[in-house]
Amino acid sequence: MKNKITFGSFEAICITITLITTQLFLNLPRSMMEAAWTAGWLLTVYITVLALILFLVIERLYRPFEGKDLLDLGEYIAGNTGRIIVGLIFIFFFLYINPVILREFCENIKIIALPESPLSFVMLFFITCMIIAAYAGLESIVRFSAIIVPLIAGGYIIIITGALRYCDVSRITPWLGNGPYEIFIKGMPRISVFVGIILVYFLYPFIRKKSLFKTVGYRSIILSGIFFFTGVLVFALVYQYPTGTENFLPIYQLSRLVDYGRFFQRVESMFVIIWVASALLHLSINLFLIPYVFKKTFKLKYYKPLILPFAIIVYALAFFPENLTSTIELEKHFRNFAWLVTFLLPIILLSIAGFVKPVEKKGAGKSE
Amino acid sequence: MRNFLKSLLLFKEPNKAEKFILKENKQDTETKTGAKDDSHGESKNSETFLNKILGSKQDDKKKEETPEESKQESKIDKKLSKNLAYMKKVYSIPVNGDIILREFDIMVKDRAIPAFILFYDGMTDREIINNYILTPLMLLSNLDIKDDPKSIIHYIKNHLLPQNQLKEARKYVDVIDEINFGGCGIFIDGLDRAFAADVKGWEHRGVERPNSEQVLRGPQEGFTEVIRINTALVRKILKDENLIVEDIIVGKRSKTPCSMLYIKDITNKSLVEEMRRRLKNIKVDYMIDSGELEQLLEESSFSLIPQLMATERPDIVAAHIADGKIGVVVHGSPFVLLAPVTLADLLQSPEDAYVRLPYAHLLRFIRFLGILLSLLLPGLFIAITNFHQEMIPTDLVFAIEASREQVPFPSLIELLLMEVMFELIREAGIRIPGPIGPTLGIIGALILGQAAVEASIVSPILIIIVAVTGIGSFAVPNFALGLSFRVLRFGYIFLGAMAGFLGITAGLFIQGILFVNSKSFGVPITVPTGPKTSASASSNKLIRLPIWKQERRADYLNTINENKQPKVSRKWINYNQNEGKDENEK
Amino acid sequence: MNRKILFFILPVFLTFFLTACFDSKEVDEKAYVVALGFDKGENNFLKMTLQIAIPSKIASGEGGGEPGAGTAITTVETPTLYAGLNMINTYISKEIDLSHCKVVVFSKELAQEGIHKYIHAMVRGREFRGSMYVAVALESAEEYIQNVTPTLEANPAKYFEMNFNSYQYTGFTGDTKLTNFYLLEECSCRQAYATLVGVNKYEKSHEFDNNNSTYKERGRDRPLEGDFYAGQIPKVYDIKAEVMGIAAFDGGKMVGQFDGQDALYHSMLYGTYQSSHISVPDPKQPENFILLDVKQSRKPSHHVEMVNNAPVNSAEIKLEADILSIQSGINYESKENIPILEKTAEDFLEKGILKFLEKTRPMHADLCGFGRDLKMKYLLWEDWGKVQWLKKYAQSKFNVKVELKIRRPGLMVKTAPAKSSEGDVMD
Repeated sequence: MKNKITFGSFEAICITITLITTQLFLNLPRSMMEAAWTAGWLLTVYITVLALILFLVIERLYRPFEGKDLLDLGEYIAGNTGRIIVGLIFIFFFLYINPVILREFCENIKIIALPESPLSFVMLFFITCMIIAAYAGLESIVRFSAIIVPLIAGGYIIIITGALRYCDVSRITPWLGNGPYEIFIKGMPRISVFVGIILVYFLYPFIRKKSLFKTVGYRSIILSGIFFFTGVLVFALVYQYPTGTENFLPIYQLSRLVDYGRFFQRVESMFVIIWVASALLHLSINLFLIPYVFKKTFKLKYYKPLILPFAIIVYALAFFPENLTSTIELEKHFRNFAWLVTFLLPIILLSIAGFVKPVEKKGAGKSE
Repeated sequence: MRNFLKSLLLFKEPNKAEKFILKENKQDTETKTGAKDDSHGESKNSETFLNKILGSKQDDKKKEETPEESKQESKIDKKLSKNLAYMKKVYSIPVNGDIILREFDIMVKDRAIPAFILFYDGMTDREIINNYILTPLMLLSNLDIKDDPKSIIHYIKNHLLPQNQLKEARKYVDVIDEINFGGCGIFIDGLDRAFAADVKGWEHRGVERPNSEQVLRGPQEGFTEVIRINTALVRKILKDENLIVEDIIVGKRSKTPCSMLYIKDITNKSLVEEMRRRLKNIKVDYMIDSGELEQLLEESSFSLIPQLMATERPDIVAAHIADGKIGVVVHGSPFVLLAPVTLADLLQSPEDAYVRLPYAHLLRFIRFLGILLSLLLPGLFIAITNFHQEMIPTDLVFAIEASREQVPFPSLIELLLMEVMFELIREAGIRIPGPIGPTLGIIGALILGQAAVEASIVSPILIIIVAVTGIGSFAVPNFALGLSFRVLRFGYIFLGAMAGFLGITAGLFIQGILFVNSKSFGVPITVPTGPKTSASASSNKLIRLPIWKQERRADYLNTINENKQPKVSRKWINYNQNEGKDENEK
Repeated sequence: MNRKILFFILPVFLTFFLTACFDSKEVDEKAYVVALGFDKGENNFLKMTLQIAIPSKIASGEGGGEPGAGTAITTVETPTLYAGLNMINTYISKEIDLSHCKVVVFSKELAQEGIHKYIHAMVRGREFRGSMYVAVALESAEEYIQNVTPTLEANPAKYFEMNFNSYQYTGFTGDTKLTNFYLLEECSCRQAYATLVGVNKYEKSHEFDNNNSTYKERGRDRPLEGDFYAGQIPKVYDIKAEVMGIAAFDGGKMVGQFDGQDALYHSMLYGTYQSSHISVPDPKQPENFILLDVKQSRKPSHHVEMVNNAPVNSAEIKLEADILSIQSGINYESKENIPILEKTAEDFLEKGILKFLEKTRPMHADLCGFGRDLKMKYLLWEDWGKVQWLKKYAQSKFNVKVELKIRRPGLMVKTAPAKSSEGDVMD
């Protein structure tokens, strides 16, 4: 590739935000409420700050390895073995979360819009779009995200402002919910909501100016933090503590509240567009990353022929959970441990890489 | 069959075709020309590909030598009889009716020199031939001329042919090309060369109002079918010696003259190079309209979006050329092509620039609304009425239900019926002879719609939907884009009928991905939104900046000279402080 | 190449076409319910009444006037809501759709047994809209729905929406949308309330009596405008269905009912009050009235203090008013007299509000949200949970302060007497 594709910070931020914040449309506000009761918003702020600090550490450590993604780092440390180990971790990581998210979104759409359609039919729409997007490649997905993420954000703001009328401050009191220990110590693993930041490590080689890595990371985290915060806060302001934990789709519940007069009521179906668009973007970039990492791990020449097989695998895996509850359970497990991959793994890799000399092997030069 | 299945399932290495990417200017263009290839890439073409690198001209010669070797190579003979015989053979005289061959004698110094002229009747101006070719040669050659003629050629050329465009040719092919394009070939005995005089004089349409792109405010001239008039119309606006009109001939039989228009010190060199390369490497028999050239130049034939913009308006062409784009004028077509083009360009009307800012925005938002309606309204209607009834206001849902009570069809069929009917009226309306045209519109709109409703074949609300969609589709300023949306509309109807908003969103997502993926001469179509370019290029965005704020040329064009106007373009504003000095100009 | 593309696209399209349109339902294939009523069944759990719109009649404007002209009413006895829908679908040709249901009415009897399970079913289902009104019929929901005969509009759905929205300019009911009801029902510091509906019994205007009015409880000699429950307003002719007053709930069970006047006080305390006309007895000539157009100028503020483990609830209500009429002709518009008028109105309202609050106390019904204030003082949920506010509410004491400012006297700045043969007549 002589003309390497690159893109600017806006595009990178948009796609990263999508990858991080899509779970807001799933069950993040509820799980925050479950974790910290009335103080879910506080927990959100806390983990955002925590994520920022961790990213600061990673970014500092990253400085000597400009333009390398984590796979390159693995290779830098332990040659082919290192790269393959890191690559397999990520392939497993993506292959785990992608079907789960796909299943959850399809179930959502089924519940809120298409109750009679079979799941496979709903999923067919998703998987078709994902395959097309993955074939179009990273460049197209990222560019497209720059167009639609502002639109999704606009729709989200409409939902939030529409729900503001129902807000009542007393609903987020008592202020500390179930206590500081629960929030600040037990809430720590919740930092996994920022797993999407993982994309930044893979985008690194594509970012136009290397100094933008920092900006993209920080801005993505802060903007996502703001989205999380507003979503969790407004949800908690409308649905008081025990009631809110009943709701399967918190933001959808908020969107049901949007009504202006007799004419403009029950427009929640309109927001299906936002749901699906953000889900598709999220799932597409996720699907793209699987063959991409696979290709890079095993130093293959092309990734495109791998898209279809992996898509079929994802499609099949998405049917594995028996019901929606077990799917949510699977996601919960993922959220408990995902921070290990997103934050701990890079830190470990980078600190080791800081000490060792690169393993020089024959043909172990930079890929491509 | 086995091979077919195999090719289907197994992976083939993609062709090593490198796509053209519009780069910054600093890189030298020479390295680029070598490595490019578009849309060929098959093994069969590999030798032409090689030849292209070596240089196209040699290649042309070698390839086309076989049948027309004589015509291509042979030189004009000294003997007139030989020339006469040759030309008679070439032009199939006397079978060919409209070619005129006139033999006569030139008297030079008491010596009669036989000669003949050759031209096409109807393509040439008789008066000019009579008065300024035949008269001097036949009658005035006897005049006593002071100058001592060194040679007969010199004498005839300098004294006897009062023509401003006179070509001297040594090869037959040069004369033939001229004659074919309305020239007059003059052959004289004893000379190993011939003259070709420009006496073009065919009938053509004058400059009229543009038919498909009318504006209320702004110039009212449109291009015509004649290449030189068209280039002149552009040059009339851009009075700049750096505006280059580069002629390239396309088509083996039609030999259609095309001109590439660009401004030397603005347009990106590699872009010019790429356009030249593509134009020169088109090998077709004939090419009649710029619509065909567009299809030959574009990268992807299946893309949903036009990759070159065709316009009838010289002002649009001039504005885009001045911004660093390339125009291609094709002889015989009143549509001039522009490249590279972006979606934002296609959605703009020239009025956006001519009308004052607040009105321009109103016009623009109305237009975008119309475009969105024409694309999505029928699909959304189907999706909402069939899947999401709860979001229709209660009063309206009762009204829709009441109006549908008697209708026998499902709403999808109902909608398709009306949409097809509408397309039919539109298609037929174009072909129907002038005076009957409006009648058909009335029949279609009033009688058909009214009758259909009264016969309970469609519901009145659906008529409104179809009508609004139709009106919206006329708001698309670019004809090609309008067509594309007309086609896509049906896709959305089906998607909406399949899965409601989920289907519509999936459709929008796929369309968006495909749009973002398509490029026009290396420029992504969705720039400046898709890949976000710097804010200075914002003149093309949804919101237009005031005209004095449009200081820079579009970023994605990577022009040589990025600045359009100085930072302060309205010098009068702080005239007093600067005492009239221009600090920005050199 | 083309064949290859076709080979891929064709199956994809075919799959879509083979599977499509699972949820697709034409508008005219559905029967839209506009009102839903629940009574206690004779032999089963529920008696369910559905008012189904007949769009063809509504659209042609035939709906109004005649009882049930634009709608079809059906009642079925059933164990549960959805079971009832199934039963109804066997004899109604179109599929029942509840997404345009505007009001759900429970009979008082059923409400007293508890309606939490039904409310939950509605919140869980995606068809029900959150802006649907929850109402309690004093007698029977079936009867109420049968008597909904809108005269001003052809569309019964519009009738419900407009009628239940009238609290915005009367104050005699409240904002009892489903979302609101559901949230209040599950709140730890407030209690839910629903609109009271009823059917008027009077046939002729000379039959009017005041036996059902609450004016005696208030110590008045004749009823004021709000001293009625729904269905007891002395009125005759076309419209029989009425909304007036609210029902208080405790844990999903109805525990008490309040008349229109109390509903007004409730909305003032709760903060949903917008504006209404209030008649205040003249301080100097008690047989005359002063009519005020009252608005809430600021949200009411609540304050709760725990004294000896019993709450002392105080509320401050800020209102402003325009004068609509002074029957006595006394010059209350003047600068000196305005304070007198303000004081009278304040006292009048304070007395009424206190009486209303006293009434809520034994019901454990903190309808006005005093608990909010207390809740905001706690840091941890655990501590707040220990307070058991809703239980403790029964021991509360109340202080109410109303602040009413007269802003404008209408088009007149003073009242001139009428001239008569016997001198000036002021009233």
